[in-house]
Amino acid sequence: MAGSETRRQLILEAMVRVVGRQGYKATSVADVIVEADVSRTTFYKHFEDKHECFLAAYDMVTERVLDEVVANCNGQQTWLERVRIGLTTIVEMFALDPQLARTAIVEVAAAGADARQRHWNAITKFTEFLEDGEELTGGRELPDNIALMAAGAVSGLIFDELLTGRAERLPQLLPDLLFALLVPYIGPGAATEEMRRAAAG
Amino acid sequence: MERAGVGDRWRPPRGRHRLPPEVVARSQRERLLEAAVRVVAERGYGAMTIGDLTKEAGVSRTTFYELYEDKEACFLAAYDNAVETLVRRVIKAYESKADWPDRAAAGLAALLETLAAEPALARLSLVDVGRAGPAAQRRYRAAIQRLTPLFEDGRDFAPGGRGLPANTSRMAIGGVTGLISDELVAGRAEQLPGLLSDVLFATLVPYIGPDAAAREVERLTR
Repeated sequence: MAGSETRRQLILEAMVRVVGRQGYKATSVADVIVEADVSRTTFYKHFEDKHECFLAAYDMVTERVLDEVVANCNGQQTWLERVRIGLTTIVEMFALDPQLARTAIVEVAAAGADARQRHWNAITKFTEFLEDGEELTGGRELPDNIALMAAGAVSGLIFDELLTGRAERLPQLLPDLLFALLVPYIGPGAATEEMRRAAAG
Repeated sequence: MERAGVGDRWRPPRGRHRLPPEVVARSQRERLLEAAVRVVAERGYGAMTIGDLTKEAGVSRTTFYELYEDKEACFLAAYDNAVETLVRRVIKAYESKADWPDRAAAGLAALLETLAAEPALARLSLVDVGRAGPAAQRRYRAAIQRLTPLFEDGRDFAPGGRGLPANTSRMAIGGVTGLISDELVAGRAEQLPGLLSDVLFATLVPYIGPDAAAREVERLTR
């Protein structure tokens, strides 16, 4: 018999898959317990309702992506390298697991204001990767929200592609996404150069 | 735009009158669309019922169903209406200037000011649309893509514009609208105009680079 923590985990995984497949709005607690193969009582022992369960599943997903990014960037010395590897990690995870991607980027917008708040908190965490870019700007003052907008540009384009069901095409967008992340710091000339290198490599 | 104004709106006289039926239907439709904007702002899309809409608009349930199939159809119509108003104002401001950076500044200022002045419309257009299902989400993407010229015209303005990535303007729009939605979710609609220099910088920078963007922001927001 699975332990309580394991069952909670099963429910969260099931939530990610069901929402990724049929969307948040069309997902019911009944769908999730069938997918997780747990009883209704077990579900309500761990979560108040579908919404609370979704928020926990969302946190799990963003943590997983962030851990992967941090692990892959470990030991990478330059800021440019870290941004490129971090972005590649995210895009490849999404392409391999479109249900996870849809939950993380698209469906979170359907789950209400507090879910969106969490989405922006997650984006803010990822942008900590960008903040060091200010060192490359030669003392130039950039707007406060620049990292957040650069990350918003990336998540907006990914959102578009997922909405039209093209998760597997995401890796082709890597050069463009890299350009958007770099351009506020290093300008269009150098960002285009990096984009070409990424496309070639 | 809270509650004032709508109660004062002209309504067809009650009882028997000679107004053509299409005039009556139009007025009822407009009242329902305005009601949807207000109810969504107060309660959110999820909690909104058809009863809320008919009560707020002062129309019968029968009338509602003559005009719209369900709550979602009414919401989508209200959404299209709200976006139309917003986009028209932005494009008008944009076209009132000559050079692209000046045009972008005018367009973005109109966008931020309209959203700040009408938080109900802002919430409907940028936040609650996500809750109303896939049809609404696709409409949302289509609507914000209408702002593309404001960004994409930078390609002709910038010396190396042709060599920039194909998705440059789509991504710039995502950054700007993302930041705006974030402010709206946090309940800071009235502070949106204060973001003009940030969103203008983000709009200009992919085309003209950080130095020129900073100079233009300085010149245009002084």
